[in-house]
Parts: sequence; structure tokens; C-alpha cells
Amino acid sequence: MSEARPNDPTLPLAIESLTVDYGERRAVDGLSLTVRPGAIYGLLGSNGAGKSSTIKSVVGLLRPRSGRIRVFGLDTIADSTLAKERIGYVPETSLLYEALTPREFLEFVAGVRRLAPAAATERMRAYAAAFRLESELEEPIAALSSGTRQKVLLIAAFLHHPQLLVLDEPLNALDPRSVRIVKDLLVRYVAVEGRAALFSTHTMGVAEELCHRIAILDRGVLRAEGTLGELRARVAQGDASLEEVFLRLTEEDEGLTAAVALLEGP
Amino acid sequence: MGWKEAWRLSRTPLAEVSFQAVYAFRQGNLAPPGPPRELAPKAAARTMQSKGLIGLVLALLALGAAALLRAGPNATATLTAYHLPPAAFDAGVLTGLYSIDVALLWWTGLQVLPVLLSSGALPVLESLPIDEATLRRIAGLVYLRLFDVPILAILIVTPVFVGVALGPLAGFAVLPGVATVIAFSLALSFVTGRYFTRKIQGSRGGGGRSLVRWAHLLLWLVPAVALLGFVSAGPAFFTVLSYAASGTVRGLLPTLEAAYPFTLAMLPALGARGPLGWSLSGAGWLELAVASAGYLLLALFASRWVFDSVRSVGRLPAAVPAPGPAPEYVLRPQRPSVAVLTKDLRTASRTPGYAFLLLLPILDSVAIGLVTLADARGAGTAEGLGLAAVVSAALLATFFGPAFFSIEVLAFSYGRALPLSDRSVILGKAALVVTVYLLAGLIVLGITLLRVPAPWVFAGFIAAELPAVLAAGLLELGILFRWARARGVPVPNLYGGAWSALLIALPGLALAAAPLVLDEVYGFVAMAAVSLTELAVVAPLILGRRGP
Repeated sequence: MSEARPNDPTLPLAIESLTVDYGERRAVDGLSLTVRPGAIYGLLGSNGAGKSSTIKSVVGLLRPRSGRIRVFGLDTIADSTLAKERIGYVPETSLLYEALTPREFLEFVAGVRRLAPAAATERMRAYAAAFRLESELEEPIAALSSGTRQKVLLIAAFLHHPQLLVLDEPLNALDPRSVRIVKDLLVRYVAVEGRAALFSTHTMGVAEELCHRIAILDRGVLRAEGTLGELRARVAQGDASLEEVFLRLTEEDEGLTAAVALLEGP
Repeated sequence: MGWKEAWRLSRTPLAEVSFQAVYAFRQGNLAPPGPPRELAPKAAARTMQSKGLIGLVLALLALGAAALLRAGPNATATLTAYHLPPAAFDAGVLTGLYSIDVALLWWTGLQVLPVLLSSGALPVLESLPIDEATLRRIAGLVYLRLFDVPILAILIVTPVFVGVALGPLAGFAVLPGVATVIAFSLALSFVTGRYFTRKIQGSRGGGGRSLVRWAHLLLWLVPAVALLGFVSAGPAFFTVLSYAASGTVRGLLPTLEAAYPFTLAMLPALGARGPLGWSLSGAGWLELAVASAGYLLLALFASRWVFDSVRSVGRLPAAVPAPGPAPEYVLRPQRPSVAVLTKDLRTASRTPGYAFLLLLPILDSVAIGLVTLADARGAGTAEGLGLAAVVSAALLATFFGPAFFSIEVLAFSYGRALPLSDRSVILGKAALVVTVYLLAGLIVLGITLLRVPAPWVFAGFIAAELPAVLAAGLLELGILFRWARARGVPVPNLYGGAWSALLIALPGLALAAAPLVLDEVYGFVAMAAVSLTELAVVAPLILGRRGP
């Protein structure tokens, strides 16, 4: 694969030497990666590996200690508003204006994103129908279940047909039908020219099924990056599952049997 | 598990309420920079500061009342038609103090209860193996401890100050009144807070429901209006008291003796100075004893009921979709700054704390406007009162600017992930400040026009002050944005940062007040010139390139 220039305006995402600190604790340490058009890029890692910190830096919620992030060639700090226009974001937790109803929330998002009323309405209706959300569009978000809130966030992320989807554990709390819809939608979505997705998950099966390339993070450091085939090659196991590859690369397989034995009790 | 264990366990949810009140993580805020282990102590310190501020206000009120008690009835000699005996005067002063304390504590409770609910601190305990009685006790103790400093201020400072002014017996006799003040205000806060969660926060959107919600929210203003009412009705009350003392109005005495909080205010007055100026018959003493005991019993019942019921406030019930096919909903996106304004108004319509801020300057204008209308002393006084209403609207609208920003605390991080410039957010919220001011001003204009045939005086005054109000709003919001960016902390609510909100409002208040002062000294032209100059300086500073 040819080397991509980070400031290439057709390159969905380029992260260079990203470092994020929380006080004295380093959450991400010198991470570099590139998401190319047409790709679903998976971020895998244990709890506290730095996935969410990376994603929050991409969407402008965290200001990194050092490093640079470009979205379609736009610096996410210097050109933050322009960069955010190209991003659709689903946060890890249901960050919503709870006093609003889903329709009011989506209207606010559509206003901020300067969408035409007809297009915004048509898309809201289509997504709401797909997620069977129509009857809850006028309920206050505070009274909705976590799965329904997640659907609202997904609709808000897709509403402006962004060029880059940034999804932090997007399948959390969703029912199986909605999970299937999101997976199919993602595959079709990035197939449209120029689009891409950055996707974080704990679920190895989902990453294995969806992601074209995968980065494995461990305590803020990039342990490995590549296609599933390339990662298997790294651990010299051609038929290994992603879970086995992950555990081997993060060295979390060591002591695993002993830990389980300990839990079984004396 | 006993009370001791419940007290120990209540520390954890209480700390969580402080934590969420300051950092709003549950609403999606991110951790501010700095060592994480310092967050909880900082949150505890900041909530303690806020509670200290409210406690200080209550203590100052008690001090003011004590000073009046010390001065004696001569302090109100110009207000009353008849001579007021010292004991009746004392009871009147203490009635005012109790009433204002109830209103202030109630108002505080209305700000605090939503924080308790949104923190989710109590439901976490429900899944733990704690028996029902202990869970109720923990919830009750958490609610009580949210008011700890204000309660202690009332409970300790009031008897001490009254004791110094009227003697130890009077100080001791204040205790029943003070106890009922605490019990009733906490119960009123709880009842209205529960009403809020059930009827307002859970209200569906669309249709005319927003209007219905705003109508419901008027309830939220009762304590604040009561506060204003008690202050403004003070002179009238002393006049009524003097009628009672002189025996000019039949039936007034028994009514007063049975009315809360006058009944309990009579106890220290009687203890300190003997008869109130009217001779209490046997029936009168019996009425006083029965009414006092009744109020104390009611306070006891209210306390127990609140204590047992806090746990039931919990969370909103899950939404049940409306029956039948869903209507075809339509989105009507607006440009970003208007979208922010609309979102804030919608949020406020389901969040009484914010609705209160929006409605107070408007209702204040209505109240003063109505006084203007009723005033029989002529157009000159009416004009003065009308202008005073505009002044108070300008200052109130400005004072609440920081609170409008704190709506952004809700899903603060999600908002920051949107392509929404700071300029749009600041403009949207400054527009809210100006809208409140203009609405209040127009109400005053409409009402006073009936008395003062000079609309241009008011219209000119309102228009001349407008740039200063806008400049004040922009300045406050600009400071808040820089502050939030630098510290990574959203602007807090009353429980989490009353001091900060006050400090940020001060420069805005100065900007809004300067033209009003100049109008008094140098006249209208100077006022308009300064107002425009303020806007010309502040707007580029906040919205221009150098702005946030």
C-alpha cells in the first residue's frame, strides 16, 4: 500500500504521534495511524487501552498533549469546525440533551449542521423507521432506555451523511435487530466513494466481521496494526481468531489459565 | 442496620451528588485537566462554598431581623397608622424572618433537588443488599445533608441573634418556629420537586405541550415571588398588625393568632415582652396553644413523610409509546445560533431551575407594573416605578447570563463534537438574555402606558439600555467560555458553584448598571452613549478574532 500524505484532502483520517495525558497518567502514547477511503478501521484494546481517548481527540473533545490529527487534510484543532462538519460521532456513553425529545434533539443537530428541512426530515423518518423509533420521537430522552438513546445517537451521527464516521462502541445496548442494521449500514455506507469509519469495540467478533484494518492498543501504545491476515502473521498463527491474536499481542494470554483457576476457588 | 450505619452509608451518595453537581460527568462532561484524585475533594469544597454562601445569606437575614428587634417599634413608626406595641412589633419582624427563610430555603431546594435526581446517586444503592428501612433512611439523610449548612445557620444563628436582641428566653422560644421553617421548606421543596419530575420533565414534546409546561413551571416561581412579596408587603403587614393591636378590625386577632408563621413568632415576643398589645382571653391562649402544637405536629409529620419519601423520587418512569400509529414528524432546522436559542428554551421548559431564571425578570416586571397601575399618586410616581421595573429587568436578565450558559453542561461534550462555533453559542445565549430583557421591558411599557401618556420615555429608556444588556451578556458568556476551555469544567449549577456564578455575573452587572447610573447623574444622552460604547467595545472583543 502506498504511503499516504497526512494533509491529503482525500484521506479521511491521519493521526500522527498522538499523545494524550490525564494529569500524570498517559492515556495515549505516540499513536500514529491512517484511515483510508472505503475502510472500516477498528480500534481494539482492553479497558483503559486508550481507544476512547483517541476517539475523543479525533472529534475535538480532548486536546492532546502533542501530535496532530487531520480529517480530510483539515487539522482538528486549527480547523476544528470544518473538520467536525465532516464527522458523524457516536460517543461511548449516551451523551444527550436529556430534557429534549429525540425529534427536538435531531432538529438541533440538523440546525447546527445546516441541513435543509426536507432532507433532514426524510432522513430522520427513514432512520427512525429502520430502528422502529417513530413512536418515541416525542418522548423526553431522559425517559428512554439506553438502547433507544443509542439509536438516537446513531441517527444523529448519520443525519448529515458524514464522510467520516467515528463510532465509540456503537453497538452498546442495542437489540440484535438494530445491531444487524448498524453492521449492514456501515458496510454499505463506506462503500460510497470517499467515506470511511473509525470504530472502537471490545467485541472481537464484530471487529473480525466488519473491519478492514485493525489497530490493537495496549495501555496507550499501538501494539500492532494491519488487516486480520497481517495480524495473524505477526503471531505466526494463520488460523487464529482475532481474540487469540489480540491476547497474544497484548501479552494478556499470559497467566490467563491461572487467573481463571483462581476464580474457580479452592 | 441502624441509623449509625445509614449515616455512614449516606456519605457516599452525598459525595457523588457534590461530584456530579460540579463536574456533571453523568451529563457527559469529560474530566478536567489535573490529577484525578483531586477531583472529589475539590467538588466537596466547592459545594461547601455554595452552601456556605446560602448559610451566610440566612445568617445576614437573622442579623437584620435582630437589628430591627433591637431598634424596636420606632423603626416602623412612619409605616403604621396606630402605635405598635413592642411585642406585636417583635412578632411581626419574626414573622417576616420566618417567611423569608422558608421562601429562600424552598427556592434553594428547588435548585438542589434536580441535582440529586440527575446525579443518580440513590438508585445505585437499590441493588445492594441493604434493607428497606435503611435505604429510606439513607435517602432521607442524603436529602437532609444537602441542606446541612443552611439548616445549621438557621438553627444556631437565629436563636443566638434573637437571644442577643431580646434576651435568652426569647432566643430559646425561637426554636419551635425555626424547626417548622426547616421542616416546611424541605417538604415544599420535595413536593414541588417531585411534581417537576412527574409532570414536567417527563412531558412529551410537540403540539401545545410546551405552553402547558411553561404554565406548570409558574409553580416554580412561587417561592421567589413569595420572597419578593414578603419584602414588598412588609409595610402593609405592619399596618395590618397595628389595626389588630388597636382593635379597629374585628376578627383580625384570631386570624393572626392562628396564621403561620405568626403563631410561632408570638412565642418569643410573648416570652420577651409580655402581652402583644391586645389582651389574650382564655380562648385566645387556647387558640395560640392549639395552633402552635398543630404546626409543630404538622412539621413533625412533614419531616417524617419527606424522610420516608425521598427514595421514591428516583428516576423518571420509562416512556410508554403513545398508542396508535405515530404521526409523521417534521424537522425544521434553524441556523446555528437560533438552534442554540431554541434548544435552550426547550431545555428550560422541562428544567424548572432554568425556567425560573427566564421567568423571574418577566414576572418581576409584571408585579412592579401592576403596582404602578394601582398606585393612585399620579403619573410622576407611575413613571418612576415603570423605569424602576425596566432597571430591575435589565439587572436580573444580566445576572442570570451565567446560568443560561450552564444549560450547556447538559451533554456538554456532545455539543463540543458538533461543528458549532463558540460565536454561535455565545450569540444564541446572549440573544436569550436580550429576549428576557425585552419581554420584561415591553410588559412594563404595555402596563405603564395605561397610566403614563408618554410612551417614548419608556421606549427610549428600554432601547438605550438594550446595547448595555447585550454587552453584559456577551462579556459574561465570553468569560465563561474561556474559563470552561481553560479548566475543562462546565459552568456549575447553584449547588456546585454559586460563588463562581456570582463572580462571573459581577462584571456583567457593572456593564448593565453603568448606563443606568449615568442616566440618573447626566441624563438620557449620556446613558445611551455609554450603552452603545460598551457594546462597541465588548462585541469585537468577544465575537471577533481575539474572542474565544
